[in-house]
Amino acid sequence: MPVVVPPPDPAGLPAPAWLLQILLVFTFILHVLAMNLLLGGSVVLALSTWRAKHSEFCAKLSQRLSRALPVAMSLTITLGIAPLLFVQVLYGQAFYTASVLMAWFWLSVILLVLLAYYGLYLVQFRPEWLGAKAGVVAWISALFILAVGLLFTHNATLSISPAKWAEMYAASASGLHLNWSEPTLIPRYLHFVVAAFAVTGLGLMLLATGYRKTDAEWSAEATRYGLRWFVGATVLQFAVGLWFLVKLPQGVMMNFLGMNMVDTVVLWAGVVLAVLALLVAQRSAIGATVLVALTITLMAVTRHRVRQMFLGEHLNVNTLPVNPQWAMFVIFAVLLVIGLAVVGWMVWQFFKASQPQQSTTA
Amino acid sequence: MEYPFWDIPLVGGGMLIGIIAILHVFVSHFAIGAGLFLVLTERKARREGDTALLDYLKRHSTFFILVVLVFGAVSGVGIWWAIGLVHPTATSALIHIFVWAWAIEWVFFVIELLAAFIYYYGWNRLDARTHETIGWIYFAGAWLSLFMINGILTFMLSTGKWPETRSIVDAFFNPTMLPSLVVRTAVTIALAGLYALITASAEADESLREKVVKYASKWVLVGMTIIPIGGIWYISRIPDQAREISMGGAPVVTLFAAASIIFSAFVFLATLLGPFLFPRRFHVTFAFVIVALGLITTGVTEWVREAVRKPYIIYNYMYSNAIRAEDTQKVWEQGVLGSAKWALLTEEDKRNPLAMGEKVFRFSCQSCHTVNGFNGIKFAVKGWEKDFLDMQIQKLDQLKGYMPPFLGNEEERKALVEWLYSLNNPPQQTAARP
Repeated sequence: MPVVVPPPDPAGLPAPAWLLQILLVFTFILHVLAMNLLLGGSVVLALSTWRAKHSEFCAKLSQRLSRALPVAMSLTITLGIAPLLFVQVLYGQAFYTASVLMAWFWLSVILLVLLAYYGLYLVQFRPEWLGAKAGVVAWISALFILAVGLLFTHNATLSISPAKWAEMYAASASGLHLNWSEPTLIPRYLHFVVAAFAVTGLGLMLLATGYRKTDAEWSAEATRYGLRWFVGATVLQFAVGLWFLVKLPQGVMMNFLGMNMVDTVVLWAGVVLAVLALLVAQRSAIGATVLVALTITLMAVTRHRVRQMFLGEHLNVNTLPVNPQWAMFVIFAVLLVIGLAVVGWMVWQFFKASQPQQSTTA
Repeated sequence: MEYPFWDIPLVGGGMLIGIIAILHVFVSHFAIGAGLFLVLTERKARREGDTALLDYLKRHSTFFILVVLVFGAVSGVGIWWAIGLVHPTATSALIHIFVWAWAIEWVFFVIELLAAFIYYYGWNRLDARTHETIGWIYFAGAWLSLFMINGILTFMLSTGKWPETRSIVDAFFNPTMLPSLVVRTAVTIALAGLYALITASAEADESLREKVVKYASKWVLVGMTIIPIGGIWYISRIPDQAREISMGGAPVVTLFAAASIIFSAFVFLATLLGPFLFPRRFHVTFAFVIVALGLITTGVTEWVREAVRKPYIIYNYMYSNAIRAEDTQKVWEQGVLGSAKWALLTEEDKRNPLAMGEKVFRFSCQSCHTVNGFNGIKFAVKGWEKDFLDMQIQKLDQLKGYMPPFLGNEEERKALVEWLYSLNNPPQQTAARP
């Protein structure tokens, strides 16, 4: 079978490839941060809601977490839109093709997200009729979110495997393919899931600080609980990450083991920062969060490099035609700054008014 | 043609997009109008010192976030998902032409969502003035995101000067952009009232119910009055051929266009004779009847808007089957299968007209036609002899104005004729393969 790659869009890139790549990776990092809190948080919510009857700590955790998760879901979706836009601009030839091959599964993401989202709201509002079934609903939401993650890994790995496309499409055009044959599929997926648990652990520690004054005992226990998630997941990650690394094709893997110095430094600096985060986590949740955010940044760059290496010359974004729209870009950039200021102002107003007012009708 | 084609039996991709899109339109326009409804009604309640009305608004805003933030946001992404799967070439074109417009829309969307959360969670937390300001920010963000998406959406039907100038300004500020914005803004106002009728009719307090029902019905009536005015302006700006299709050129489309007007009138009359004149006797069932009428109106109207765009998916630029108008000559010479790498044409296919004809169908026809289901080709060509089929295909665009010319070479046309003929006249099992 020949390797068939769709031709680039004749409209060309609306900005140089380097700028679009920066935007792609940067917005992807924001999306991943929110996604980590959602994915890990939904599992912790399921666990705590399930055990709410037997433990007061879990009951409170379930209640407090359930208020944050719909927001995490909304942020995950919203912050996912930007990288999805830029990936279609730069890598549409690969993204659309892989998506069509797994079309029904890819479309099911929408339904799974919708149901998981409503499930999270159901657990938050916890109407009386729900009763003990809240735990079941929370688990369903968590499993759906985990499934969505797996479908994204299928899409991401299939998108960077052009050699598989023609054979798959010749076998069936019904959009029922998945990428199970990919050796990196499972380690790559677990790499993301385990990272999500680690970040959620930090998120729980930060959540706990919000209750330090009002509920000191719970706050202390939640801090220990979050720390356990963070440390456990991060230690496990060293094994999972190594597994992922050795499953990469030889030519790709070697770039991260000294053949390409920049790639090697970026990856291993990320690992070192994660080790440092482990060391400071007990003393400072914020310090660990900053270090982990840096790790995620370096890992997102590494992920982008893996994509470039897999695609090679089948799809090299630096060779795509460029037809820049600078005026539009400037408008976007200005509006982005204004938008962030507006969002910042609103969030500040919200947290400034920390005490709920007795009545708004005064 | 440039991308693999997703084969959806019976239903076809257009229907799939339609279902998601109509539901999304019905919720997303509410999302915008409701912003205005909440903040204006909140101001009214505070001015009048009406605590009951304010409490209603809090309940209404719970309904609002459950409908808008969840279904509205997810189904919006759903449209994007679906068009990328069904029409990747056209989606890629829209993405590349409008990247920064999409990016700007995303900024407004982020503002809109965060404002919605803060407005909702801020009812008992923020002071009145800040809360109302957040409400206004929400409405501004929501309406501006409509402003952006409307420019992109209208471009598909009225590309205006863009095919010659290729300028983003011409693409965005295209001939139907403003009239469509007026219509859609009016729809948001009508839908804000329509959804409020549901929550209002469920209120237990009788005097509050009566007050809000009457108040909400005015929103519906105002919106429904502006829609036809904007609508006439809009229709005057769409391409001539599109107007002809909706006014007799294609009977089914004309029927749907008429249905759109009739159902709009039903919504108006039902609101006038029901909640507006007799708010005391209004109840939940009646509210759902009006909402159902509204959904049908939205559905048929959006369907007509999509249908009149034929034979194009992006007017004067790309045909419904994803072949660019400027490539027509090339496709006639090289054949559609010569251009469509994803046909994966084998030497064996080339010797077998039926196999070849099926592949021609997939890349030239299947984006609108299924074989046995929606707009099914088997039924459409029933009883047609080969000569007649061949003549029809040769003059496709002249006989049926809403179809593109046949995009393929002579060999492919003959193969397509054989395959289409075989659908209703299966070849004998015993016939030896060449």
